[in-house]
Amino acid sequence: MAKKLMKGNEAIGEAAVQAGCRHYFAYPITPQTEVAEYLVRRMPEVDGVFLQAESEVAASNMLFGASAAGVRTFTSSSSPGISLMAESISYIAGAQLPVVYVNIMRGGPGLGGILPAQSDYFQATKGGGHGDYHLLVLAPSTVQEAVDHVILAFELAEKYRNPVMVLGDGMIGQMMEPVQFPAEAVTEPPDRPWATVGMKNRPQNLIRSLFLNADELEANNLELRAKYDLMERDEVRFEFYHADEEMDVMVVAYGTMARIAKTAIDALRADGVKVGLVRPISLYPFPKRAVREAAGRAKAVLVVELSTGQMVEDVEWAAPEGVPIHFFGKVGGNIPPPEDISEEISKVLGGKATPRGLYGRVEEAS
Amino acid sequence: MVLSVPNTVFESVPTRVIVFTGNYGSGKTEVSVNFTLGLAALESELSIVDLDVVNPYFRCREAIEPMEAAGVEVIVPRGETFASELPIILPEVKGAMTRDTGRLVLDVGGDDVGARVLSSFGPALRGDQAELLMVLNARRPFTDTVDGALRIIREIENASRLKVTGLVCNTHLMEETRVEMIQEGVELAEAVSAETGATVRFVAAMDDMAAGYIEAVGGSPPYPVLPMVRRMLPPWISPLRQGRDRFRQIGLD
Repeated sequence: MAKKLMKGNEAIGEAAVQAGCRHYFAYPITPQTEVAEYLVRRMPEVDGVFLQAESEVAASNMLFGASAAGVRTFTSSSSPGISLMAESISYIAGAQLPVVYVNIMRGGPGLGGILPAQSDYFQATKGGGHGDYHLLVLAPSTVQEAVDHVILAFELAEKYRNPVMVLGDGMIGQMMEPVQFPAEAVTEPPDRPWATVGMKNRPQNLIRSLFLNADELEANNLELRAKYDLMERDEVRFEFYHADEEMDVMVVAYGTMARIAKTAIDALRADGVKVGLVRPISLYPFPKRAVREAAGRAKAVLVVELSTGQMVEDVEWAAPEGVPIHFFGKVGGNIPPPEDISEEISKVLGGKATPRGLYGRVEEAS
Repeated sequence: MVLSVPNTVFESVPTRVIVFTGNYGSGKTEVSVNFTLGLAALESELSIVDLDVVNPYFRCREAIEPMEAAGVEVIVPRGETFASELPIILPEVKGAMTRDTGRLVLDVGGDDVGARVLSSFGPALRGDQAELLMVLNARRPFTDTVDGALRIIREIENASRLKVTGLVCNTHLMEETRVEMIQEGVELAEAVSAETGATVRFVAAMDDMAAGYIEAVGGSPPYPVLPMVRRMLPPWISPLRQGRDRFRQIGLD
């Protein structure tokens, strides 16, 4: 396929098709509705199904059913819609089913707004639903990466029999960029001996998250934990941008913010300022070791997010003692220009910024 | 701008009202804004309406300032509704459409969904006083083939209850555009024209690509060429000065 100019949301839809997904259940919500608009045209061309559910609750339970029946399935939504899906995400994690979720984040809490945000980091990486589970979370920063992540998400979901989320901000969904689809995106699905596809000559399969017997539930919890241990060992993804050298300031950012930070970093480096970027690509598992190691080469750390401070908590947890950690966030759908980030970096450099204290900012202010 | 805008671009669409439509992400807004800025040099009374009721993320609202500076009346929701997803049609729109004087450019939302709003203006857009232009990018999904483009045109015509009368070639792949892509786009538009009777009016391309295209066709392009300057910039491409200069400016160095 020749390179195409695509909106992030359309590219996400096509990536799912290219990955062999033929079952898409969703409910529209800005700023990701173009995924559905694209697939309503595209799915019939490949004998696929797009079923618009009556709500996000229903859509996510349809995913449960489709995945249990052994087919590749996914949905896309935006922040409040993902909240509605939270219960079934927990059930799907408990039942160990492969499902791909795409969350194109908008501002919150509540209905919030429709403009870009990164304020669902906690929800995506720390739960959202109840119980002892994790989503594997990938955060693209370009439309091309959104394509690659969607294709990878299907593979990882099947590898671990666990829900995987592609987490982009509204800008990733809305902007247009040239994209190239890989020639062979369809991976052979692994055997699904657990799927409910008719008993034939084997014992009955039962897919459930209900385990009333304490030992059975414990065994399921420990099986999940063992998968998360494997993910934390094998699925950590990140990018170093001039972060493998000594730095006066090390920036940590993901998604669109990482892109804006790179523009600021390029300009500062042209002026001889030693500044680099660590960009987490997998948000869970968080690249703890990479952040720790790179922060050891830095005099100070600056975390920038489209939130009032979420990933910064993981950076604080990962960074070695003694490195001051600063935070700069923009919210409400406002996106800072690169100058705002260079300004923050320069404040850190000039000793004009206050690092976050042990208890956030109030401690420093009082 | 390296190239000047030839008047032949504007002569190709002489009607009082010019409507830009197209499929999602075809570049309607970039074309309408650049077209309007060029036309502003020739017209004393010129208005542009942002009629995109589908999606407020990238609209000509972002290009308001340069157009107003050029003396264009920009009709767009303001204040609280600027970034809303409400289908707002301002009362000024009907006024601008039904008056007899001045030129008017309409930037309509994508696909048939965006074009449906046109049907409510009925008579004001029928007859010979309005052109309905379809912006075509042959590198976009669904308009990369003649059949695909014809389908989109039919959908837009059905929804708007108007006929597409002209085509604008806007084939590009952003920074990765090459001159051959523009030529492919012109060929696609000519094939679409042969099927629909809508004529190719002009070719739009970013300034450097426009120059490359004109050179590639031996200096005499088959259609007028509108050289454009990119107005809808993503936030990581900053037109402002970076680095030390910026520090000095804000007193931090």
